[in-house]
Amino acid sequence: MRIGLLTEGGYPYARGEARLWCDRLVRGLGQHEFRLYALSRDREQERAGWVDLPAQVTQVRTAPLWTAEVDGTWYGRRARRRFARHYGDLAAGLCAGPAGAPGQGGYSPAEADRFRSALYGLAELAREEGGMVAALRSEEAVRALERVCRAPGAPRAAREARVTDLLLVGAHLEQALRPLSLDWYEEGELGSVDLCHAAAGGLAALPGLLARHFHGVPLVVTEYGVPLRAHYLGSADAPPAVRALLAAFHGRLAAEAYRSAAVLTPGNTHVRRWQERCGADRSKVRTVYPGMSAARFAGAGERPGGRAGERAGAAGAGAEPGTLVWVGRIEPSKDLVTLLHAFAAVRQRVPGARLCVAGSAPDPEGAAYLLHCEELAGRLFPGDPPVEFVEMGGPAAPGLADVYARGAVIVLSSVVEGFPVSVVEAMFSGRATVSTDVGAVVEVVGGTGLVVPPRDPRALAEACVALLGDPERRDRLGAAARARAMELFTVEQNVAAFHRIYLEVAGRCPARRIAEADAAAPRPFAVPAELRVAGAGSVEVTR
Amino acid sequence: MNGLDERGRALGNHGAAGRPAPAGTPPVAPPGVPSGADPVKALMLRHRELCERAVDALEIAAGLEAHGVTDRTAARFRHRDVFSLAEEMYARAARVDEDEVPAGPPAAAGPPPARWALRALLPGALCAGTVAALRWTTGEARLVVGVLGLAAVAGGVRLALGRGPLSSEGRSVPGPHDWRTPPGARAWAYLLVGYALMGDGLLHAGLVGGPDDLPGGRYGDWPVTLTPLLALGLSCAPAVWSAHLFRAGVGRKLAGSRGLEEFAATARPLLLGVVAVHLAAVSGLSALCAVLLDEHSTPAATAALGALLLIARLLTVHGFTHAPGVVLRAVGWTEIASVCLVFAGRLPGCDVLAGPVETVVSVWGEHAVPLLACGAGALVLLVHACRRLALASAHAPAGPRPPSDR
Repeated sequence: MRIGLLTEGGYPYARGEARLWCDRLVRGLGQHEFRLYALSRDREQERAGWVDLPAQVTQVRTAPLWTAEVDGTWYGRRARRRFARHYGDLAAGLCAGPAGAPGQGGYSPAEADRFRSALYGLAELAREEGGMVAALRSEEAVRALERVCRAPGAPRAAREARVTDLLLVGAHLEQALRPLSLDWYEEGELGSVDLCHAAAGGLAALPGLLARHFHGVPLVVTEYGVPLRAHYLGSADAPPAVRALLAAFHGRLAAEAYRSAAVLTPGNTHVRRWQERCGADRSKVRTVYPGMSAARFAGAGERPGGRAGERAGAAGAGAEPGTLVWVGRIEPSKDLVTLLHAFAAVRQRVPGARLCVAGSAPDPEGAAYLLHCEELAGRLFPGDPPVEFVEMGGPAAPGLADVYARGAVIVLSSVVEGFPVSVVEAMFSGRATVSTDVGAVVEVVGGTGLVVPPRDPRALAEACVALLGDPERRDRLGAAARARAMELFTVEQNVAAFHRIYLEVAGRCPARRIAEADAAAPRPFAVPAELRVAGAGSVEVTR
Repeated sequence: MNGLDERGRALGNHGAAGRPAPAGTPPVAPPGVPSGADPVKALMLRHRELCERAVDALEIAAGLEAHGVTDRTAARFRHRDVFSLAEEMYARAARVDEDEVPAGPPAAAGPPPARWALRALLPGALCAGTVAALRWTTGEARLVVGVLGLAAVAGGVRLALGRGPLSSEGRSVPGPHDWRTPPGARAWAYLLVGYALMGDGLLHAGLVGGPDDLPGGRYGDWPVTLTPLLALGLSCAPAVWSAHLFRAGVGRKLAGSRGLEEFAATARPLLLGVVAVHLAAVSGLSALCAVLLDEHSTPAATAALGALLLIARLLTVHGFTHAPGVVLRAVGWTEIASVCLVFAGRLPGCDVLAGPVETVVSVWGEHAVPLLACGAGALVLLVHACRRLALASAHAPAGPRPPSDR
């Protein structure tokens, strides 16, 4: 099968997001042919180059999202009218109600249809005439935005839009719609792949939507984060009118991607809830957990968690009763402060306990936070500090598996978390975990660790004390955690799940071939009539 | 443990440092089952800013999740999930009144003036240096100094226009080399300056019957008037300041206007005012230079040329490169043609060709030719600019960065 893998700011760029996952997927499914269609996010990303690509990647097309060339095409009167109509519809779709699912909160399916037809109308215009960048920056576009903002029934925030806000919205829309101007939708490109797989939602899925529109290529959308949610959090500083309109745009785009996709694969239940909220049909959502390499932690996982030291400690009073380990990127959202306070309470009940904070601070904010935490640790534990800060990622850093192996209990204290990587690694290492109830933690941990509310040092401390004082339970939980992780979170299960999904989608939606056979050379009876009958989806038409 | 709890509360703020939170927000996750009669109200008080500025319920949901509120927390507020909790909060939140909405943030002022202001002085300084050097040298050395000086001035102008208000950095025109003026337009602009330098002299020579040989030889030097060059070089600074005034004014009007018509109505007077200021500045500088250099020169012709160049540059940096190119070319051809016609008129039997130019010069003098050509060009461009630069889309910001998923 030929898979068109669509990414935005990710694989194959060396500094892209989620590139590890894509790399494992492509390498794991060597029987398929992959064509990469990558949108780059900024100049630095393009400069940093690509990762090594395996042989099954037969073609790579890239396009920048951060810049666009005006191609010098100016529309004639008819094209201009067509553009004004579609863009006006698109803008009207943004002001027709709150973001989110069609049918919820006053956003009717008719409005969703209007947005959809406007989007594809613009795509067709861009494909036939070009010149979309200049048109999207034209005064007509701004005027269309102004008109819908002043129309009765527009949201309150949009009614107050100033001209700067309109310009900002227009510029953002122009940027978001740049994939419309790409030449990826021809035969031989996305037009002749068997399946489009968008490695993220949002703008990465847009080329897939267009390929589906033009050629009927089925689309699979994988989301490990929610682009709409990221947009809400990332645009907090923008004026209300800009936030309202852009949130509506991204909400509508997400809804359209969820509607059009043959299969949606959220990375966890948290993402799945957002997808369903934005109109995804439950019947085509399959949660596929991200896969992680378990081999590194095999050594630690085979040894029961800190037990040898534990038994010796039980024999001689005052020996080391166990170490709490925290691993991750150091940043304020990890809430190490709560962890330190909780550990202070643990020390009161278990005097010999130690805490190891292993991580790196990649940005200045994280570095400042690390400094703050070290000061706090110095204040809380004067004298011989039981808290050790281990720098990870440096040349002299210990192996990740060794760090996990040192811990009796692995702790996660975040207030915000997507998919908790450190918890999964701890589970691979066969360690019991104490985590805060954020993001996908509960579904990852299952019953194999303790979960406490975030920002609650007392609850965190009590859970840690309970586990430190009960090695039997710790072992039991650790073993269960490792078994669960090996079942759910390995690379193999991830790749196998996508393999099944590819086959399922290819079996269900081979519709593209019909169009292609019709268009290329009209041969009589080239397409059996059964193909047009419901239920005959598995018939494969050869070219 | 009470003390610990208190500390935990105080630290709740710090944990949220990654997100914008109003000062003094109490910790976010409720410590237990809320005891008040209206637990959601208490939650809304904690997230007052989020509720007030949210544009829809999903934004509140995203904000709540970013503060660690999960479905389990929502269950304590008798809601199925965070979304339905957010919906209740959105429905109940008191929206900020229309009057309280600030008129938008002040327009970004761009880089601090110091840097581009210094750059803007560079062409003037180089011009002054070149003119002074020309005064002190003679013969061959003078030619060398002149050529080197011109090259230096051209480089200075390029530097002055490469950054600051007269450059198109941060403009909407995409592409890596967008700030560059199209080469044709630049060449014609230099030709117009060249005409200001020696066109009048050539025209005069043509009309009175000399020279019959290449200049620089027995018949003396090039008929050069240095005043316009010096005045135009010095006028780079007021031009940049005018453009800065225009840009800042447009930013204010954009943030203040509620409609495109309103913006257009306020932008036109602004443009006219800025051009008038520049005209006055060039005229003044030109008169001053004429006195200093003890030359005969008409400030009006120089001012018309200055205005023409400023408007052309303003249009160019806002992405309208076509019209300035056409007008500069037309003005340039007019000036070239007038000189060529005069010289062609000296050929036997071709007196008629020089007729129109001779008439103009005999009525208003040699300065009338560039004054009329540049003035007409500037007027045409001004009318065009009044239409184009009053469009809000001409002042669109460069595309924002797409939000990252992390």
